[in-house]
Amino acid sequence: MTEMLLVLIIVLAVFSLISRDLIHSVIALSAISLLSALIFTLHWAFDVAITEAAVGAGVTTIIFVWALKHTSRKDI
Amino acid sequence: MISTVLTVMKYIFIIFAAASVVKIVIAKNRSEKLIALMILSSVILALLALIAVDSDQIFILDVALVYDIFGFLGLLAIARFLPQVRHKKDREESHDS
Repeated sequence: MTEMLLVLIIVLAVFSLISRDLIHSVIALSAISLLSALIFTLHWAFDVAITEAAVGAGVTTIIFVWALKHTSRKDI
Repeated sequence: MISTVLTVMKYIFIIFAAASVVKIVIAKNRSEKLIALMILSSVILALLALIAVDSDQIFILDVALVYDIFGFLGLLAIARFLPQVRHKKDREESHDS
């Protein structure tokens, strides 16, 4: 199960790197943090999973979208 | 018997999560990507609850609760700020033209 989740994380990471629209990259990064929290839970690291869910999925996404609001959305 | 059913359900949810990730990657529109992210969030929340029932550990429900609250905040931020971002982009394009 962990290998399948790691493959999904690699697919999303490559997509967030090659995407030209930065909103799509932010969505992919949010999905990456979600899957990372699940992997941490599967390996019995509950405190790390709680921190990853709070910081990675919540605060980082909000800060990225807030920064995109003030800058350009297209990757140059 | 119950453990076998829960294990099969875990793999079914993993397949659903993989389908959601494929939808995030191949979707053309950003609203489709956002809906696929919401589906992925729901599937993984259900998977966390399933793991909590299977392994009889109540701490996993805390992880599920915290993820649900903050994941909803992140999705809300994307849905709230997206029209303004598009509006600014359209304004820049109208300035260019």
